[in-house]
Amino acid sequence: MASNHPTSDRRADVELRLPADGAYASVLRTTTAGLAARLDFPIDDIEDLRMAVGEATAMVLGDAVAGTDLVARFYQQPGELTLTLTAEVAGPVKLDYDSFAWQVLTTLASEAAASTTDTELTIALTMLSSHQESGR
Amino acid sequence: MADQLDEDAPGGPTGAELTRQRSAELFAVLRDEDAPAESRDAAREGLVRLHLPLVEHCARRFRNRGEPLEDLVQVGTIGLIKSVDRFDVERGVEFSTYATPTIIGEIKRYFRDKGWAIRVPRRLQELRMQIGTATGELTQSLGRSPTPRELAEAIGCTVEEIVEGIESSNAYSTLSLDASDDGEDGGAATMLDAIGVEDIGLEHVEIRESIKPLLDRLAPREKKILLLRFFKNMTQSQIAEEIGVSQMHVSRLLNRTLEQLRTSLEED
Repeated sequence: MASNHPTSDRRADVELRLPADGAYASVLRTTTAGLAARLDFPIDDIEDLRMAVGEATAMVLGDAVAGTDLVARFYQQPGELTLTLTAEVAGPVKLDYDSFAWQVLTTLASEAAASTTDTELTIALTMLSSHQESGR
Repeated sequence: MADQLDEDAPGGPTGAELTRQRSAELFAVLRDEDAPAESRDAAREGLVRLHLPLVEHCARRFRNRGEPLEDLVQVGTIGLIKSVDRFDVERGVEFSTYATPTIIGEIKRYFRDKGWAIRVPRRLQELRMQIGTATGELTQSLGRSPTPRELAEAIGCTVEEIVEGIESSNAYSTLSLDASDDGEDGGAATMLDAIGVEDIGLEHVEIRESIKPLLDRLAPREKKILLLRFFKNMTQSQIAEEIGVSQMHVSRLLNRTLEQLRTSLEED
């Protein structure tokens, strides 16, 4: 597994800022699918990612302060796509790792992690292409 | 399958008689202002399921017009739901008599709407079907899910077009593709009725207690597909093969089920 996790000093390849509103979740799903397709991920992976993003978006938005933005950052590697979703929150969030939503995320994505500060909640997802040569 | 329209005939077969009786009972609950919201919701859902064979029957009439039957059933189901919500029990008309024009109206409108937006959607429609077919074939020959590039090569289009086509297929997930009667009329099987989900050994799947109540809200078929994906860790393609539907269909069902779960969680 690659160790190149997105860090704050690494520039996102693609960044998308959206209103923290569920109505924009589809834009995020579509963008993610488009990027994964360009990395030539198998269809199964693309569909999994799409679902994972939907789930992660719902999770982040659940705690987002109304009227703020949701920021999605995408990091592309051959055969690997990482995205982080960050929303403004009113205080540190305690995520329920026993929830079905988390189960969905961890099943769909190769890696899923959440981190929270006093003002931000971030969920990071990494998807490795199940068809390794596709990354080259 | 039992002819749905017999429902209207006086002294029809027992199956139709039963359907009518059950329908009346459910409508009584649905229209009862004093009944708890939960039972009314359940009655509404029960009515939709009960009368789905009628939608199938209507959709079949249009099946040779180049649209997949499953899509027509899906669209017709919208008509059915509208009918359930608007049906006036006092009128003394059979529900099927009342609902049929609405269901057919929805299906016709679907064809009309497609006609309007002529070229792009038509092209996407065809592409969507080509992608569906090619995905199935390539999954077989490669032994894994194909990539967009492989699909593009097989179909002879660009990767961008594949992405576009996949999008258009996802935009489809309106309503219940899989919802169906639970067999009172027997026979009138939707696609997912025909699948042998019972055969899949789900009894060995471990489900956390915290998740059980959530899953129990789902229809049995949705629950099974969800369990296969998230607890047995099967891929969409594997599930598709296992139950004999397309991967796109599995994708739509999963997406919709997750959406449903999220919505029901928000309502709590």
